[in-house]
Amino acid sequence: MTKLNYKGYAENLLIALNIFIVFLLLFGNDVVIPQWLQPVGRLHPLILHFPIVVLIMAVLLEFFRFQERFKHEKLYQNFTAYLWLTGALFAGITAVMGIFLSKEPGYEGSTLELHKWFGVSVVFVSSIIVWGRNTTWYNVKIVRSAAAVSIIGLVAAGHFGADLTHGANFVLEPVWHPAANKVPVDKALVFRDVIQPVFESKCTSCHNPDKIKGGLMLIDEKSVLKGGKDGKLFDAGQPQISLLLRRIHMPEGEKEHMPPAGKPQLTEDEAKLLYLWIKENAGFQKKVIDLPLNDSLRQLSAGVLKPAEESGDQYDFAAVDEKVVKKLNNNYRSVYFMGKESPALGVNVYGRNNYGPKVLGELSDIQKQVISLYLDHMPVRDPELKNIAKFENLRNLNLNFTDITGSTLKDLAPLKHLKTLSLSGTRLNPEAVKQVGMLKSLNKIVLWNCGVQPAQLAELKRANKNIDLIEGFKDDGKPIKLNIPQLKKNNLVFANALSLQLSHPINGVEMRYTTDGSQPDSIKSLVYKPGIVFTQNNITLKVKAYKAGWISSDVVQFDFHKSTYTPDSISFVKFPSYQSSPQRAKSLIDRELGSSFIADGKWIGSQKDIAVYMQFARPTDLKSITISSNQNYLPSELEIWGGADNNHIKLLSAVKPKASLNRNSGATESIECKLPVAHPESCLKIIVKPKKGAPQPGKIIQSPFVFMDEIFFN
Amino acid sequence: MERDILEQRLNINRRRFLSRLSLGLGSVALGSLLIPDLFSGIGSDNEADFTPGIPSFAPKAKRVIYMFQDGAPSQLESFDYKPKLREMMGQELPASVRGGQILTGMTAGQKSFPLAGSYYDFKQYGQSGAWVSDLFPYTAKIVDDICIVRSMFTESFNHDPALTFFQTGATQGNRPCMGSWVSYGLGSDNKNLPTFTVLLSKGKGNGQGVYSKLWSNGFLDSIHQGVQLSNSDSPVLYLHDQDGIDKNDRRNMIDNIAALNEIDYKEIGDPEIITKVQQYEMAYRMQTAVPETLDISKESDDTIKMYGPDCLVPGTYAANCLLARKLSENGVRFVQLYHQGWDQHANLPQEMAGQAKDVDQASAALVTDLKQRGLLDETLVIWGGEFGRTNYSQGKLEKNNYGRDHHPRCFSIWMAGGGIKPGVVYGESDDFGYNIVKNPVHVHDFQATVLNQLGLDHTKLTFKNQGRRYRLTDVGGHVVRDIIS
Repeated sequence: MTKLNYKGYAENLLIALNIFIVFLLLFGNDVVIPQWLQPVGRLHPLILHFPIVVLIMAVLLEFFRFQERFKHEKLYQNFTAYLWLTGALFAGITAVMGIFLSKEPGYEGSTLELHKWFGVSVVFVSSIIVWGRNTTWYNVKIVRSAAAVSIIGLVAAGHFGADLTHGANFVLEPVWHPAANKVPVDKALVFRDVIQPVFESKCTSCHNPDKIKGGLMLIDEKSVLKGGKDGKLFDAGQPQISLLLRRIHMPEGEKEHMPPAGKPQLTEDEAKLLYLWIKENAGFQKKVIDLPLNDSLRQLSAGVLKPAEESGDQYDFAAVDEKVVKKLNNNYRSVYFMGKESPALGVNVYGRNNYGPKVLGELSDIQKQVISLYLDHMPVRDPELKNIAKFENLRNLNLNFTDITGSTLKDLAPLKHLKTLSLSGTRLNPEAVKQVGMLKSLNKIVLWNCGVQPAQLAELKRANKNIDLIEGFKDDGKPIKLNIPQLKKNNLVFANALSLQLSHPINGVEMRYTTDGSQPDSIKSLVYKPGIVFTQNNITLKVKAYKAGWISSDVVQFDFHKSTYTPDSISFVKFPSYQSSPQRAKSLIDRELGSSFIADGKWIGSQKDIAVYMQFARPTDLKSITISSNQNYLPSELEIWGGADNNHIKLLSAVKPKASLNRNSGATESIECKLPVAHPESCLKIIVKPKKGAPQPGKIIQSPFVFMDEIFFN
Repeated sequence: MERDILEQRLNINRRRFLSRLSLGLGSVALGSLLIPDLFSGIGSDNEADFTPGIPSFAPKAKRVIYMFQDGAPSQLESFDYKPKLREMMGQELPASVRGGQILTGMTAGQKSFPLAGSYYDFKQYGQSGAWVSDLFPYTAKIVDDICIVRSMFTESFNHDPALTFFQTGATQGNRPCMGSWVSYGLGSDNKNLPTFTVLLSKGKGNGQGVYSKLWSNGFLDSIHQGVQLSNSDSPVLYLHDQDGIDKNDRRNMIDNIAALNEIDYKEIGDPEIITKVQQYEMAYRMQTAVPETLDISKESDDTIKMYGPDCLVPGTYAANCLLARKLSENGVRFVQLYHQGWDQHANLPQEMAGQAKDVDQASAALVTDLKQRGLLDETLVIWGGEFGRTNYSQGKLEKNNYGRDHHPRCFSIWMAGGGIKPGVVYGESDDFGYNIVKNPVHVHDFQATVLNQLGLDHTKLTFKNQGRRYRLTDVGGHVVRDIIS
């Protein structure tokens, strides 16, 4: 009995629930859910799982209810009946909760409506089953269809409910991406593609031609500019006084706040977009990419737009297999995909000596796909253009420096897509230019240095205005300056006789020189011929290059130094203090001079005296010793000591160089020290002293440096 | 010692185990080929989006020539015209402009920061009306073919880190450089030449070093390393067979060495061994390709007039530009030039004139030359240094003489071809040429843009090393779409 009572309560409750739901559906718009009931509503996502499971079980059992086996199984029958009742009750409770929940702000839209109606229909259908399942008209057919309807209702309600909670396409998202209907940044307009979508998602449901709330429509430029009954929507450039923004930024409780409470609100970004759009006066036709790169409006816009599309060609042919492409690659022919997703191929051919008609002939499998063919410097001949024309989709053809004459350019006419043709460096005959016109699709032709006369080029330009004609560098006929002569071997130090070896990069120049310090000229000065021999100790050679049609070169000066003897050993007695000095004294007799760069590792420098010892294997009759120093860092004094061995040396000579005339020039200066005549020595010591720093009041004395790079012995 | 050997053997076994294991994984991978996308989770593995050797999308540029002006040329005497500095010549740099910026040790101690206007005049050129100083008359003629970016900025104000940052995207110098990334991303085009070559030259101005870490492959396979060409008469040394060795002998020798290396590889499994075999093979092919490619003796008079007669003097910038064109024309993906001598701390007017004379004509000629061969569309040409120079004088400001210290906050470079908008001047600095006021371009943005032009997405061009994926742009970089046509 008790059980029956419970059942009776439950059935009554079910009736009550159904009535309540009908009431809510009818008058729901005017119902306000008290705050204390909101938590009940929010339990909807929890409770909803019970009816789903219970009803599915009920449907399953119901499906086989009239089978012979179960027909008289009491437990089966009772259990099924209770399942239906429980399921329907739970469905009803869930539906009521759901309706409560939907009254909270933020639930809106067609998905909610669908979810609501499917959910409610589950309640009704299951309730009908509960009441009707013991009547006589309830037969197998009805059972099965009722079961099916319940399942469909459950699945649909569940699906749309999940869409509400998790967002649309939650389940399939990881595996299925519908093409986003977004516009690429580079093509987007600020209003059309960024602002209007905001209106569409949050405003136009009430502000559209069917439902013009407040007299306002937000469907296009015209209606937005028109505004509503409260006047125009915005003042360009003045967001703070614009009505649109005022209504959006009002506290949400205010009656004038838009969108109204309960409707989906603008996100922060959306509100900001509208603000910036007005502030920057971006209007209706401005492109997103016309905004500065660091502009906030631009950056926000980029977030809702697709990245810029590569405006590539669209191809109507299929890709060939990657393996085919790989096979066609070899050391002299590169076949490559234009991009990962692209069916188009490019072919570059290299190695003139390996070129033959086979190189293109082997490409028959990819004739459709090749859109770019690069045959620069290949010995391609006229008849081959017929074969090239088989690459029907070719866009870009490079025949620079090939052996074609252009007589057969018309053979390329079948190439309906050919856009760019490069013929630089070929020897075209006059026929060729006339045939260019037959290449209808061409929009660029490169004709530098291919023997076409200027008159013909002009005519070509006239006849084909839509073709971009690139002629390239034109010699303006003004002579240019020759560069300076060079030394073949950079030996500025010689032993006995100098055999002069000059060179010049330009063929056919005449080099004239002087050795007396005067400037060479084109009349009097001597003409350089290979193998001129000099024997003086110091030779100052000034050379200048001349060639007809060119401006003669600058004068270049080479200072040659003779160093007849070389000591057999050399070592420091007092080491140089300058860090970048070479570590070994041998650098002073290696016949290599330092450059103008003092830290090049060839210059020996010191703020203190430098002293070097030198030994000659046999006594040498020296007449002079010259050190090569730098005008900025001359020594104050140079002492030469000599004798038979280390222990018996005496001062032979000393010089105090005069202060250089052109200080700070950084040039090399030789300081010669003459030795007493006929005085053969085998041991020498050279002391080089830096200048003394002049004391300056209040400053620590910075001792000057002395630098030298080489010593010459004559 | 025995322990070491044992350890080594274990290592080999571990490696073998792992590599065999990868075969097993390979068969799973085969399965995924049959059922495409079996494993393609979203966002789980970026590398799946990138296949070395194939651009991710159709590229505008196929090759790059990067003319690096080493030492940092002054923007204020080249492309960033600031008449205000002349007006205010000698006045103090306002503290508000400097904004408390830390200066280098070379001028931080200076008591006064006298503003220095350009010694050289500027004029407007071309349809774009770009301002170019009188030091660059040839570049001025091609302003309608190039895009001048006056709003570059970087993160370091010393040469080495800034240079390394430009080339590798990091200041420390253990990463692959741009050329190596490009080689890795696009692969080789002409298999008879290196994919990435480097050419050095030196001006008379105060110089800073360049060193091989700037063309290092970092953790990428060493076939991506930059190959430095010699600036002597023969750009590739030791390429000729010695007397008495003919082509067949050489072939035999290389085959036998390869066989030995193969044994070694099976034993040790070091991928660098395979790289070495490949390099021998390439050197063999270079024996014919290099003389054919790099012979400058047959250049036409027009070419000599364009580049200037110095283009025939090996080791000059002009010669390197000419070589760069020849290499690029023959499919070398990335040609990196360095011209030293742009570090004008003192004597700027005089030194910069010399430097500009070295590079102006040949740089412009390279652009024109590529254009007249129909190659500019597919070759990206870049000209620029590692940072800019200060608007105040380092040391004493004299009427005709001053110097400029390092300045990372704003400087100018230019780019041409390869899908970059021609005739554009992008970005703007303030009246003092000190801070950027419009469209700043960070070094990573620049790098992202270069890669983008080559069809490489800088966020996807990654390489996993020591458990982390690396990219040229590290975690930054935005493609500068405004300068892309």
